Amino acid sequence: MTRTYECMFLIDNDVVRAGWKEAKATVAELIEKHGGTVVTARRWAERRLAYPIRHKNRATYLLSYCDCDPTQLGALRRDLDISETVMRYLILAVDEIPAEEHDLSAAENGEDFVLPEPPPDDAIDEPEPEPTEEEAAPEVEAAAETEALPEDEEKAGEELPTAPVAVEEGPVTTKTEGEEA
Amino acid sequence: MAKKKKGGARRGAGRKIPKVRLDLRRDAPIDYKDLVLMEKCVGAQGQILSRRRTGLRAQRQRQIKQAVKRARHLALLPFVN
Repeated sequence: MTRTYECMFLIDNDVVRAGWKEAKATVAELIEKHGGTVVTARRWAERRLAYPIRHKNRATYLLSYCDCDPTQLGALRRDLDISETVMRYLILAVDEIPAEEHDLSAAENGEDFVLPEPPPDDAIDEPEPEPTEEEAAPEVEAAAETEALPEDEEKAGEELPTAPVAVEEGPVTTKTEGEEA
Repeated sequence: MAKKKKGGARRGAGRKIPKVRLDLRRDAPIDYKDLVLMEKCVGAQGQILSRRRTGLRAQRQRQIKQAVKRARHLALLPFVN
């Protein structure tokens, strides 16, 4: 009995620079070693990490869908823990693979796919989600993101002053009251 | 003692909590990969927003919680700032 799993891997950028295909093959080997089959695998993102992992500030995300025997998952996890290539991983059981994943994964395996070179480890990517990313579909996403961003900032601006003030106010006022009483 | 408690409760009840609009579609599953949504679900320090702030039902709030924790594991969100 196999189940479909969504696996997200954090791949060391040094390994990605050495070769993206090889990096993917390394992960696929691990999965296949435990009787699984990789259905799709693609580069999901390359971004700055929210906190350093293994003294690295950036990493590449590999999103993969695979079929695997649930009883073999423990052994697979153990191997992933040991692996130098995979810095972090997240394995989730899913009912079905999203339809667009097949196309995105196939596009990456195509001849004309060029992997963007990972930036240096200390690079910061805040304001714009890099125009060099890919073609049409990601551009639409990027546009949506930029549209959403100002909204976020406005909201953040609204929340920021009110929230902490409210939190601070509570205990202070109660204290003074207590002293008066 | 009783006086103090009463006062505290009244103040809490009167205080307005700024709500966060998450724009969730009714049947859309919450995915940790949706970074725009994930960033809305956490506060300035990266803490998960309470139900009072999000105004979500228990089930939805649990899904948010799970998704934020997954995003944190993959360093998409900070644990604390």
